[in-house]
Amino acid sequence: MLDKLRKPAVGRAFFFCITWLWASWWMGDVFRMAREYSFVAPDSVLMHGLWQQSFGSLWIVGRILLTLYRWPLVGGLLVALLLTASTWLTAYCLRLRPASRWHLLAYIPAVAWMSWVAWRGLNLYYQREPGIAFGVLFLGIVVLALDAFIIWTFKKPHPQPLSQGRGECMPQQSPFSLYLSLFILALLTLSPFFITHLRHPYLRPVTKMEVQMLREDWRGMVETAQANASLSYRPLAAYYAIALVQTGQLTDKLFEIRLDYDSLYVKNWSGNADIGTTYYLADCDFHAGLFRAATHTAMEQLTMNGPSLHDLKLLTRLALLDHDWALARKYLTILRRTPFEGDFVKRYSAMVGDSAAVAADPVFARVRLTEPVTDSFESFYQSPVFLGYTAVLTAGRSMQALQQSLMANLYSKRMPDFLMRCEALVGTTPPRSIAEGLVTQTTKNPAIMQAFPQLQMNVQMFRSFLQNVQPYMKDRAHAGRELFDQYHGYYPYYYFFGNLKATRKSDNKEHASSNAGVN
Amino acid sequence: MFQKSPYITVIVVGLLLVCCGSKPTSAPSTFTALTDSVHIFPDYHGVTIPPNIAPLNFMVEDDDADAFVVEMKATSTTLVVGATSDGKIDIDSVAWRQLLTEAKGKALTVKVYAQRSTGWVCYQPFTIDVAEEPIDAFLSYRLIEPGYELYRQLGLYQRNLTNFQEAVIYENNRSFENDNNHCVNCHNYQNYDTKRMLFHVRAAHGGTVMVNGTEAHKVAIRHDSILTSGVYPSWHPTQPLVVFSTNKTGQVFHMYHPEKIEVLDEASDLLFYDVEANSVRHILRTKEAMETFPCWAPDGKTLYYCSATLPPSLLNAEGSELAVKYDSLLYNIYAMPYDSLTRTFGEPQLVVDAAGMGKSASVPRVSPDGRYLLFTLGDYGQFHIWHKSADLWLMDLSRVPYMGQPRPIHGTTESHIWDTPTQPAPLTDANSPAADSYHGWSSNGRWIVMASRRIDGNYSRVFISYFDRNGHAHRAFLLPQRDPEHNTYLLKSYNVPELTKSPVHVTTEQLKHVVLHTESTPAAYEN
Repeated sequence: MLDKLRKPAVGRAFFFCITWLWASWWMGDVFRMAREYSFVAPDSVLMHGLWQQSFGSLWIVGRILLTLYRWPLVGGLLVALLLTASTWLTAYCLRLRPASRWHLLAYIPAVAWMSWVAWRGLNLYYQREPGIAFGVLFLGIVVLALDAFIIWTFKKPHPQPLSQGRGECMPQQSPFSLYLSLFILALLTLSPFFITHLRHPYLRPVTKMEVQMLREDWRGMVETAQANASLSYRPLAAYYAIALVQTGQLTDKLFEIRLDYDSLYVKNWSGNADIGTTYYLADCDFHAGLFRAATHTAMEQLTMNGPSLHDLKLLTRLALLDHDWALARKYLTILRRTPFEGDFVKRYSAMVGDSAAVAADPVFARVRLTEPVTDSFESFYQSPVFLGYTAVLTAGRSMQALQQSLMANLYSKRMPDFLMRCEALVGTTPPRSIAEGLVTQTTKNPAIMQAFPQLQMNVQMFRSFLQNVQPYMKDRAHAGRELFDQYHGYYPYYYFFGNLKATRKSDNKEHASSNAGVN
Repeated sequence: MFQKSPYITVIVVGLLLVCCGSKPTSAPSTFTALTDSVHIFPDYHGVTIPPNIAPLNFMVEDDDADAFVVEMKATSTTLVVGATSDGKIDIDSVAWRQLLTEAKGKALTVKVYAQRSTGWVCYQPFTIDVAEEPIDAFLSYRLIEPGYELYRQLGLYQRNLTNFQEAVIYENNRSFENDNNHCVNCHNYQNYDTKRMLFHVRAAHGGTVMVNGTEAHKVAIRHDSILTSGVYPSWHPTQPLVVFSTNKTGQVFHMYHPEKIEVLDEASDLLFYDVEANSVRHILRTKEAMETFPCWAPDGKTLYYCSATLPPSLLNAEGSELAVKYDSLLYNIYAMPYDSLTRTFGEPQLVVDAAGMGKSASVPRVSPDGRYLLFTLGDYGQFHIWHKSADLWLMDLSRVPYMGQPRPIHGTTESHIWDTPTQPAPLTDANSPAADSYHGWSSNGRWIVMASRRIDGNYSRVFISYFDRNGHAHRAFLLPQRDPEHNTYLLKSYNVPELTKSPVHVTTEQLKHVVLHTESTPAAYEN
């Protein structure tokens, strides 16, 4: 058994398995989304911008490798093979013998790359070139391979006894040092797992939800968010809200996850800390029915980051919703040139020129329900506009539009606006969160009970809640975390303990319109 | 043993066949004539082209066909081009040149054959007229993602219209760098000559780059009295003078509207800049009117510009107040006489009463012979590239009673005076249902270039229209590209197409040095 463990192939096989696990299961959705925010096509016009950048050709290679993450198992296999190859090449270049005490150095470049990738988190692709990670990996392999080739070419041949391998010339490791080596190797290989888990705990759930969104698995998204309900990050909340909109559960389940927003540890293009709004803004605008705002955001992203599958797909959908057939055809022609996007192209090409097919699409039909009914300008509303606009909505085309407006006000704790909009619900039984929102205002506004007498039970529950949380009121920031398990999903808990950093501006100041430049 | 060589030969031959395709090289002898018109992109049916234009490569759109042959025939010369199933016709430039030389002043007849499973078919032939007059060989433009607030990679480029060469005039920093991010815009030349040109640099390294021959330097046309800086320029046709508008401009984004963006001026005035003295002064500085888009007449004696009168309720309006009234801003076109001796301007005269038509005019451009005024007319505002209603309109200036004097036609002894001006009219054949805006004349006045969104409604492309001696603009054609799908793949818009007779004299490196490594010299302000 020990003899088997001493063989270098065993260590590498172990490393290969762990890295495949890491690259396909642990980071699979992350790289899958990196691929979505990337773009590569065999066309000089489309790749011109990237090609012209420093190391542009290397980033293109990185993007090509990333395309295999259409299937994370396949992409992960490639990454694991490359990383394992790097260990062999490093060992060869450094003349590390399997039994030597330094043989673990062979794993350092691969583990360093994995740890660096894990450390970058969302910045693997958010406001960063998505081809960098795999471009660097590719470059590393090429450098090591060249180095190995040079060594192999110029090495002096030295006679060896036919019966002895090189390893057998070295003194054998003791069992203790062998197990210690394996332990250290395992620790090294597992470190990227821990880095992601500790520094970017939101990364895997968020990207998993996005992958689910690509499949339109809205219920899966809800389940993923709820399984990670104690995490509190803006992108998680954003994609959760999108899934709730699509499943019609917004008024029942929005407050079931924490909405306090810890740091994402990501940076924007300028290198400053970023709260990640632009990451989900276009998707949220789209699912809020704000198609012009979604177009605006997607175009800005396309301008700043260059074309990406995500933005091109969104712009295709927006063009279809606009019945802008020529524009949709343009984006689909571009997407047709990218690898492995046949399904998307086939599905949406069938809608070009067919407004009935567009209307029949269930996702389109859902987002149409909350499309504005009158025009105004984006800059008149608080940012992000999917909240700012929805909160002050005065006319909508459906009950869903009203409910979204009510929920935006509950989320923003804009209770006067919320109550004003609730007038439309008098005589009905309000959905759960709206009912709970109403009862938080009953002490200030007893008329609510006259309008909604069926909320008597909710009022009693609210009083009981107030009694229970009274001791926690002095330090709500800390108490919020403590009370979450007990009260999550209950709006009064959110009202008093959740999202305490949320701005409560009730006036809608115009911003940026006059100062905005025109290119 | 495994015999490698036959397999390798088969693979290599197969690959060669795939790579080379199997383009037919001659028109089929037997075919079925169809009554249908062929669908090609770009659509060159019935257009008139200059005799010096690059080959009109196009793509035949017929999913049922595996191969195509295109036959282009002048009087005696016939050019045959084949294409594989992608339908892309790549015309040999030498043969094309010979064809155009022969067809000058006449027409080309184009026949398209398609090989279907049932055999060859031939679509209805169509014609392409070839004008006698050439177009200026160089077209410069800016490439940038359409509209919106942010910018990243952009640049000024120069296309040789006689072939497919595109050269960089200036490109900004290719990668995001906080200290270097900058935008360039409003490139402008003096009278189709690249010896004198300018463009603006915004954000980092800001200023206006002035080019004189092979020299370039950067100036700052700014002062406390000036709203912002020099914006839309117009070079005097002969003297080292530039009139700029200075605009306080903002952008707002619609929430629910057929249009996507409105670009609005809160205020704007006109500036007179003396290049040699590096001094600037106001020509018009009014609060109740917004003047913009200046344009010198080719004789240098008249300055045309657009102006909108603010209603009293909006006199002190800013930002959102003005934005909500965006569709009430209607611009007219005015003209002011210029005295080159005293360097003074006379009283403005209304030339195009667009507001009276319930419309709004912008970007006036006078034809090189001084006879025609070309402008964009839309429903409101002045930034018409975002307005689907925008079309090119024409006014015959020879029929305008201009300041009580007969108006000479530049370069001729002809003059006219009319009691009543003719009304401006749209260039119906050249226009499209989409936004047709920023435009310019060729130096011989026979060609109009314009930015138009007619292909997909979102991305501006350069279209060229023949303007005949009778004042009629012909159907416009898309600027030809080597790959007919170039414009489909390009995710940037063409801005400000400007024709010039020669290429830009300064090098990209020189301009980069000026932009990145020199400071702007402030222009002196004269009261």
